[in-house]
Amino acid sequence: MKSKISAMMDGELPDTGLAEPLRALREDCDALETWRQYHLIGDALRDTQVLSSGFSERFAQRLAQEPTVLAPARLPMRPEHKPYKIPLALAAGVAAVATVGLAAFVLMTGDPQIPQAPAQVVVAPAESTVVAVPKGANDYLLAHQNYSPRGSLQGVAPYVRTVSESARPR
Amino acid sequence: MRKAFILLMLLLPASALSQAQPSNAMDAADWLKKIYHASQKLSYAGIFVYRQGDRSETSRITRVIDPAGDTEKLEAMDGMRREVIRKGDEVRCYLPDTMTVKVDRRSSQLSFPALLPAQISTLSDQYAVVKEETARIAGFDCQTIVLKPKDEFRYGYKLWADLGSGMLLKARIFNAKGEPVEEFTFTQLMIGGTIDRDRLKPTYGQGKQWRVENASVVPANLAESGWTVTAGIPGFHKVVEVRRQLRDSQRVGQIVYSDGLAAVSVFIEPIDMRREPVRAGMSSMGAVNIYTRELANHIVTVVGEAPAMTVRRIGNTVEYHRPQ
Repeated sequence: MKSKISAMMDGELPDTGLAEPLRALREDCDALETWRQYHLIGDALRDTQVLSSGFSERFAQRLAQEPTVLAPARLPMRPEHKPYKIPLALAAGVAAVATVGLAAFVLMTGDPQIPQAPAQVVVAPAESTVVAVPKGANDYLLAHQNYSPRGSLQGVAPYVRTVSESARPR
Repeated sequence: MRKAFILLMLLLPASALSQAQPSNAMDAADWLKKIYHASQKLSYAGIFVYRQGDRSETSRITRVIDPAGDTEKLEAMDGMRREVIRKGDEVRCYLPDTMTVKVDRRSSQLSFPALLPAQISTLSDQYAVVKEETARIAGFDCQTIVLKPKDEFRYGYKLWADLGSGMLLKARIFNAKGEPVEEFTFTQLMIGGTIDRDRLKPTYGQGKQWRVENASVVPANLAESGWTVTAGIPGFHKVVEVRRQLRDSQRVGQIVYSDGLAAVSVFIEPIDMRREPVRAGMSSMGAVNIYTRELANHIVTVVGEAPAMTVRRIGNTVEYHRPQ
């Protein structure tokens, strides 16, 4: 499998031979690790600039200080909460875009014909990372609530979140 | 004269001599202990309003302590009929619309996160605990206590406690800007007195058509199956690690982190158990933030009453390495 992944990265596999290594990457953690290591080796050989540690945290912080232009508020919130939440959502969105860009870049580096790969990636909207409350959210909340030290001060009252109408999936 | 001086020294309280801590902080911590003891020993019945964003909902709460143990019941009075009954370590959530009872029983092999009086003093590592003004809530004269976080990884809390009994009448969670994120307020409360025991009985769940979902919580070590979570938030420590049933999935791992007051749960479950596609990202319900991501054919769901940044950060420390 390692040789197949290597060949795929170098663009040497015929289209018909891609299914197997791609499935392995989806399902097999060892294959994914191989993929990661080969890319690391490739990056080292090509002297690619790797992001410094803590980059995304610093980036998110800087971004949070920028004025907000998007308003992806789908959840019920008071207007005064928006400035707090949107920069985070936006940051997450941009982080997602960055990941997509990076993934595309990684995928394309084997082919020197397309040096501008990241620019061709369709930009994911920032909203996509602020998702609706997951369907089973009440189950998670119920499971979580039992282990929150707040019960020591408030008894069963915080469970109201679990039974809250607004907490129900819509 | 000398004897009188020694006597005076003995009579002076130790705190007045040591001056180790500002007396206000001492008082505030004592107030937290008083609230804790009230929540453990008082029987009461009342109505409270839960506010989150522009929504508010009214619930009825009843609690009775007797030699057999304590029972507490919460009934939603607005919207969909639902109720939660806690009896000792067992919590039952009745959902009439799906005719389901969800049962979560704490495993006796585990110790559980609780804000015990002994731990209250350690809260001051993460929060500045201050006694503020007195105010009147639902007819009770209350002392306000504020827990102001020392960093942005946690929310702040403002508590209103009855001057006499210590019963918590109102609680507000606020964000880094001081804006309320959610609030619980009693609008009517009776402490002690005669409380009709029938009010503690479940309204639903008696018929045979009702489905019982048992959490079947057992202690676990998720690292043995390749999962590591480092959390990496100052003051947050791992308090519980279990395997449990969640909906149809029997192999859901749950690790709970807490800074003593706030808690964040990390759920890890196999992806093939879920019938619907996973939407990765952040969502929020009042003070509770939820972060979902996919990792190594599993869904990682992080749920906690902490700022989105904290919840996401904990979620991003989850790693999988195939066990050797």
